[in-house]
Amino acid sequence: MPDDAATRSVSGDSAEFALAFLAEMSPDLRGAAILDGEGGVLAASGDPQRWREDAAALFAVADRAAGEGVEQIHIGTEQGEVFALRHAGLAAVAVTERFALASLTFFDMRSLLRDLAAGGDGRGKEGAAGAS
Amino acid sequence: MPPKPHRILLDRVSGYADEAAAYMRRRRAFRRPFARLYHGGGRAEDHAADTELGGELFVAAGRLIELAGRERG
Repeated sequence: MPDDAATRSVSGDSAEFALAFLAEMSPDLRGAAILDGEGGVLAASGDPQRWREDAAALFAVADRAAGEGVEQIHIGTEQGEVFALRHAGLAAVAVTERFALASLTFFDMRSLLRDLAAGGDGRGKEGAAGAS
Repeated sequence: MPPKPHRILLDRVSGYADEAAAYMRRRRAFRRPFARLYHGGGRAEDHAADTELGGELFVAAGRLIELAGRERG
């Protein structure tokens, strides 16, 4: 499901920390999940099985609609907005309030996945340094 | 007498803020549901809700929104 770039294995603890950091940075966030290269849930804000199934369904439909593996998905509805992103062999899915700033949300998600794939905890160098 | 320089600056900043507020009001009033897919390289495509695949995208998104809402509620 995520893109096919090689990544080192990401621990569940790092993913959980990254998810908490994303929630802290994004006041509009309602829920989110981080998935590994096989579509398994590394961290989720709720029922991991449901997040796995629903995220897989979203990526599958999007890939079919696009005719190839998509990198980003943004769907806005009256009830809320869904953001999904594949990066560095990982994937993140987030649900936000309406009118969340798309570029900022994707930027945060991409930074988080990049840092996780590099062995970090999603906060990047500055965040990790600031916390220590 | 010409206006003081700080008055010109304040008026200009207020003007920009008013424009931004009006833009946000229009955006909230007129924005319709959308499904946008981005490929590598920045290419994007929209899928209307009244197409088969567009409809499936909204159904999949709706399940995630419902899931996240249930967790919060």
